[in-house]
Amino acid sequence: MKITESLPDSLQKFLINIAGIGRYSALFFRQIFRGPLEIREIINQSYKLGYQSLFLVTTTGFIIGMVMTLQTKPTLEQFGAESWLPAMVSISIIREIGPVLTALVCAGKVGSGIGAELGSMKVTEQIDAMTVSGANSFNYLVVSRVIATSLMVPVLVFYADAVSLIGSYVGVNLEGDVSVQLFYHQSLGALVFSDIVPAVAKTFFFGFAIGIIGCYEGVNASKGTTGVGNAANRAVVISSMFIFVIDLMAVQLTQLFI
Amino acid sequence: MEEKAISVTGLKKGFDGNEILKGIDFDLEKGENLVVLGKSGVGKSVLIKCIVKLIEPDDGDIEVLGTDIRSLHKDDELNEYRRKVGFLFQGGALYDAMTVEENMRFPLERLPNKPDNDEIEKRIEEALENVGLEDTRKKMPAELSGGMNKRIALARTLILQPQIMLYDEPTTGLDPATSKEISHLILEMQDKYKMSSVIITHDMKCAEITANRMKVIKDGVFAFEGSYDDLSSKDDPWLKNFFE
Repeated sequence: MKITESLPDSLQKFLINIAGIGRYSALFFRQIFRGPLEIREIINQSYKLGYQSLFLVTTTGFIIGMVMTLQTKPTLEQFGAESWLPAMVSISIIREIGPVLTALVCAGKVGSGIGAELGSMKVTEQIDAMTVSGANSFNYLVVSRVIATSLMVPVLVFYADAVSLIGSYVGVNLEGDVSVQLFYHQSLGALVFSDIVPAVAKTFFFGFAIGIIGCYEGVNASKGTTGVGNAANRAVVISSMFIFVIDLMAVQLTQLFI
Repeated sequence: MEEKAISVTGLKKGFDGNEILKGIDFDLEKGENLVVLGKSGVGKSVLIKCIVKLIEPDDGDIEVLGTDIRSLHKDDELNEYRRKVGFLFQGGALYDAMTVEENMRFPLERLPNKPDNDEIEKRIEEALENVGLEDTRKKMPAELSGGMNKRIALARTLILQPQIMLYDEPTTGLDPATSKEISHLILEMQDKYKMSSVIITHDMKCAEITANRMKVIKDGVFAFEGSYDDLSSKDDPWLKNFFE
């Protein structure tokens, strides 16, 4: 008896899923090097994925920055360390909360959207129609979306970080009077190379994970409307889990090398 | 001996241990319209999906236009082969995020020797004219009726000028009048472009209009063969169900 057969069904399915995502990633890189890329579709997807997530990212970013500031302020006041507030909030946002939260928002919005769109294309045989017309459906559908998410998630994270700091500034000024110059001097002045580079680097991996998982789940959706719903759901759950795993790995690597 | 359009020998295919096709043999002559008849779930669609390599058969040989399709592995070879074999899906399978024009453009823009824009325009115009829907260019598939959807899907398939057409239940879900129109359109296109066709259907009117020859699948193999008139006059009670 194989070892895998002794595992529970759900675990077997999960492992098959992970192996499938790994295989898809390998196909993605093979296709990238073989080309040609569908440039127009990459731009189209980047616009769709980036622009359409803007409102959600703005709202969550602003609220998180503001809430973090309001929650932290009383504790720092007890120690007379109020002046540390901008620095503390900016480091937390730029190193951790901005990237992870934006990636999770994108996993929910973009990942599920990709899963559902490709899932419905699969069950209505549109993907098969592309294949039999002699077009490279993987290149058109998967490669373009994965490149778009890999490029747009970092941009959205950068934007969300900026909006969060605005939210934080508003939070500070609800019960105080701190000038913009002072707030940004303190918050950005506290950042160093090792805060920014790993935080930016991991967002590319977040974007890649969201794209490749959304595409894999969508293209492998089972027949029927339930299949499409399940594909969208799995895309969100698995990519959210991957985001935390990538984040953990990024933290470990940062501590090792920087 | 003249090369066959399609030659299938001993084709077997099963799913989850359940054998659906148990040894299918048939030849399609050039310029012929072969109608494949059978109850739902007997593997009619599986058969034509094996021919375009959307499904890998478990066993058997498939030769299309002199090429053994098992020898096609590289993407480029497969794509080149598939451009010679058009496939009309049951639901039309129009790309619903694209307009009709973009649907037509899609396969042309991905040809290895991409035609210039004038040529693409000319071919789109001709394809839409063929199906009588020139004024739908800017429409989205969701704005089209079921019959229009099928016509556009047919136009999109024919735009690559395939030598063989595979139709997967082309009239399913359509009212009798539209169904008859589509059947006549299939015949018209076959005559115009001198193609060979395999038509999967259980619409007897469509079979009567389009078939040069018919084959009937029963229990995973072809059990009956003949013209529409031959089969309709047979005494077999199982077969009679189709014609009543």
